Formats: sequence, C-alpha cells, structure tokens
Amino acid sequence: MLDYLLSQLLNGLVIGVIYAVIAAGLTIIFSILKIVNFAHGEVFMAGGYFSYFAIALLGLPALMGIPAAMLLCFLMSLLIERTLLTPLYSPKTERKGDYGVLATFGVSILLRNLALLVFGSYPLRPPSFWSGSLIVGAIYLTWDRVFAAGFGVLLLALLVWFMYRTPWGEALNAVGQSRESASIVGIDSTRFYRLAFGLGGALAGAAGALVGPIYSLSPSMGLAPDTQAFAIVILGGMGSVPGAIIAGLLIGLCENMFVAFFPDPSRALTYAQAFSLVVLMIVLLVRPTGFFGRRHMAME
Amino acid sequence: MQPLIEARGLCKRFGGILAVDHLALSVQQGELVGLIGPNGSGKTTTINMLTGHLSPSAGEILLRGERSEGAAPSSFAARRVGRTFQITQLFSRMTVLENMLVPGLARPHSHRAEATRQARAHLEFLGLAKLEGLQAKNLSGGQQKLLELGRALMLDPEILFLDEPFAGVNPFLRDEIIGLIQKLHAEGRTFVIVDHDIEAIQRLVKRLVVMARGAKIADGAVEDVSHDPEVLRAYAGV
Repeated sequence: MLDYLLSQLLNGLVIGVIYAVIAAGLTIIFSILKIVNFAHGEVFMAGGYFSYFAIALLGLPALMGIPAAMLLCFLMSLLIERTLLTPLYSPKTERKGDYGVLATFGVSILLRNLALLVFGSYPLRPPSFWSGSLIVGAIYLTWDRVFAAGFGVLLLALLVWFMYRTPWGEALNAVGQSRESASIVGIDSTRFYRLAFGLGGALAGAAGALVGPIYSLSPSMGLAPDTQAFAIVILGGMGSVPGAIIAGLLIGLCENMFVAFFPDPSRALTYAQAFSLVVLMIVLLVRPTGFFGRRHMAME
Repeated sequence: MQPLIEARGLCKRFGGILAVDHLALSVQQGELVGLIGPNGSGKTTTINMLTGHLSPSAGEILLRGERSEGAAPSSFAARRVGRTFQITQLFSRMTVLENMLVPGLARPHSHRAEATRQARAHLEFLGLAKLEGLQAKNLSGGQQKLLELGRALMLDPEILFLDEPFAGVNPFLRDEIIGLIQKLHAEGRTFVIVDHDIEAIQRLVKRLVVMARGAKIADGAVEDVSHDPEVLRAYAGV
C-alpha cells in the first residue's frame, strides 16, 4: 500500500510540474497583458508537434526537440501577438479583456483545426528522451516521466530567476503593475508585452514537448491541460508566477491521488478534472483571491 | 541659443474640443518655469504632449532641436525627460527602493550595484531613506509625490515636468518639496511646474506661462505676469 501511495505521489508530482509549466506561461501572459489566453492549450499542442517534427524531419536528437519546440512556439506566439493583439495597446480599444478573450478563442479554434488538417487525427508518439524505467522496490516510474519532471523543475527555476533576479524580469513586473509608470521611466511597454506573450508560448511549447513521449500527441491534446491551467492560475492567485507553480503541483498531486483512490476505478479518470475544480472551489471559499492573488487586474 | 524643448503651433483636439490651441512655448536649459491656468485650460494636456503621453493633433515638438512629436514616453525618458503626475503613478506593490531601481535598471549598460547606490543617494536627499523597504502603496500622499520625484531623478533628467507637485500636500511638506526643487535647479536641472498653488509657484519660479481655454495668454517674469489684466481676468475672474 505504501509503495502504491509513493508511486502515485511521484506520478502526481510529474503531472503537477507539467501543469505548473503550462500555468506559469498562462499566468505571465495574464499578469502582463491582462488577457486570458484561450489559445494557450493549442500552443502547448503545437509544441508537442514541433518537437516531433524537429526530431523526425531534421534528425535532431530527442532532447533537442524541446528547445526547438520552445523557439518555434515563441515565434508563433510573437506572430499571434503582432497580428491580433496589438489593438490591446491602443487607447481607442474599449473592453480590452473581452477583445483578448475573443481573439485568442478564435486562434485556439483555428490552430486545433489546422493541426487536424496538417497532422491528421491519429496520435503520434515522439521518441523517448530517456528509455526504460526507474524501479525502486515496488515503485515504478518511466525515465521519460522523471526527465519531464526534472526538466520542468529546471525551467521553473530559470523562470523564477529570470522574473525576480534580472532587469528584464523586473521590467516585465513593472509593465504588469503599471504600463503608464513603466513608460515614464523609459520602458517600452509594447516590447515587454511581446516578450511576455512569447515567453508564455515558449513555456507551453516546452510542456507540449515534454509530455509527447509520455501521452502521445493529438490535435485536441491541449484542451484538458488548458482547462486545468485556468483552474491553477485562479488557485495560485491571478498573475502570480510562484502561485501558479505551487497550485500546479497541488492540482497534479490531488488529481493523481483522486484517480488512484477513487472507489470506482472505471470512472476515476472521467472525474479527475472535476475533482481539481472541487479543490479550487474549496480554496476560493477560504481565500477568494487564491494563494497569492490580488483583487483587481485589468488592462489600462 | 537652442531651447532645450520647444513647442511650435501645438494643437490637441479631443473630438470637437480644441484642448490646446496653437501653443508656442520654449524652455531654455536651466530655466524654472511655472505653467498655470484655470481648470481645463490645457496645462496637463500640454505636458502630456511634451512628454509623449499624447500625440499632438498638429504642430511640432523639438527636443534639443530634434523633431519629437508623437514619440513614445519611453523615448522621451531615454532622452532625459522626466515627469511626475497629478495622481502619482508608482509601482504600488514594489518597495520604495524597488520603485527607484526600475528606471535605474531600465537604462542601457546599467549595473544593479551602481543603480542601488544612486537610488539610496536620491532617497537620502528626499528624506525617504528610512522607508526604502516599505511598499509604495503604504506611503502617505506626500511621500508618494517625493518618491515619484525620486524615481524621475533616477533617469538623470535634464528637464523635469512636475504636474501639480503640491496638490494634496500639507504646508510643511510643500515647503520641503519647494526646497528640494530649488536645490535640484541649482544643480542645473530644468523644471516646468504645473500647479494651482499660485503662492508656491510664485516663490519658486522666475518665469510664468499662463494658459486659458487651450491658448497661451501670458509668458514672462512673475511680477509682470501677475499684474497682467488678461491673466487676472482669465485666471482669477477679476
């Protein structure tokens, strides 16, 4: 029983780290641009495919699929931001939040259907980063999962360092707090909106590349993690990167424990997402702003 | 001598309202200018255009002789134009020191240690040194005004536009701010100050520009402008 519990805890941590990477990207976009990016799950999906094709077509080693996916998702996000989101920065645009939701929702539908058209509906599985399994006693974990968690933790650590220890991160934080104030101290806000959207996309792309060898790829693979990421962002506190990381780990763990110990295993997976929302509801009853949230966030 | 900043035929139209009407204004290096006028006379709109926060509908802005109308506020800040706002615009969830460091670190080739040293020197000068660890939102209104001035100083500005620096400030702190502005001016910095506190402005500046209904109605020495019949009519209703 203890081995089973430990196995499930470890699996939950792996999922939690992946959720945290996706949610951290989403929360950066939300905290800086003040929009909910409904296309984030599709960028995650694109990251998986970019990694797959970088390995299959260019013959790159499996590990190089991750930076390739991050770079391509960064560029794809820049393209989305430059072509569709610039009206957000204009004082003439009213209801910017609504505009952001509608624009990114449209992009999500476009990307999902484009993926269906280009990649087909059959699941694809990229090669393993690291084949084999870690077996300690009765605890069993594939090395791909261990690698995904380790790389995810490394990415999150780098993100926290970037956000809180570099002038670029401080400038992002400043733009997120007040675009007006940032501009009078010499920060070109538009440049940092671009960076935030690209960075969020790169994180989603990395998560997509990391889960590819574990769950395989399909055009609709972004739907469930995207929904979870929204719950995680709210749970962590809208706009808080550390909050998103902690909430991601918590949701991953809770979801896995629920699936592992739900009395009817045949239905457990179906209810897993609902269980995360139950966790979210309980936390919000006690802390309406989430773990590290603030009351008001809207585009100036 | 080339003016530090100059506006030629500057206009700003909001729908059917002409908020600034063909304004001509030039400020020389080292001047301390007061910009006054009744509510709605276009003072803040003018400095918003002169610092890049609004694009003029017509006219030219020359910063050190270079055409600059329509440039972004960050571009003005990079060219050593600082400003403060009527309602302070701080990074409210950052500490006092962090607020000071943002402009310091935003400058090219900046170093944290050097920026921190400069920030602490400015905080000392402004009397905010003991509050460096406090979040900006927890400062009093007057302290927030001082911090905004300090943050502008981190740009090492040649010219500073202060929008109502004495509004909502107690008389003691007002005198302190006047003293600080005088010291900074003595160091060679140029100021354009917009305020309704005529007494404070008269104590501080040598040149007054008066606006009414978007147009400049007087520009000259304080003594001359204060007795100008058109100014008395437009500004004081006399």
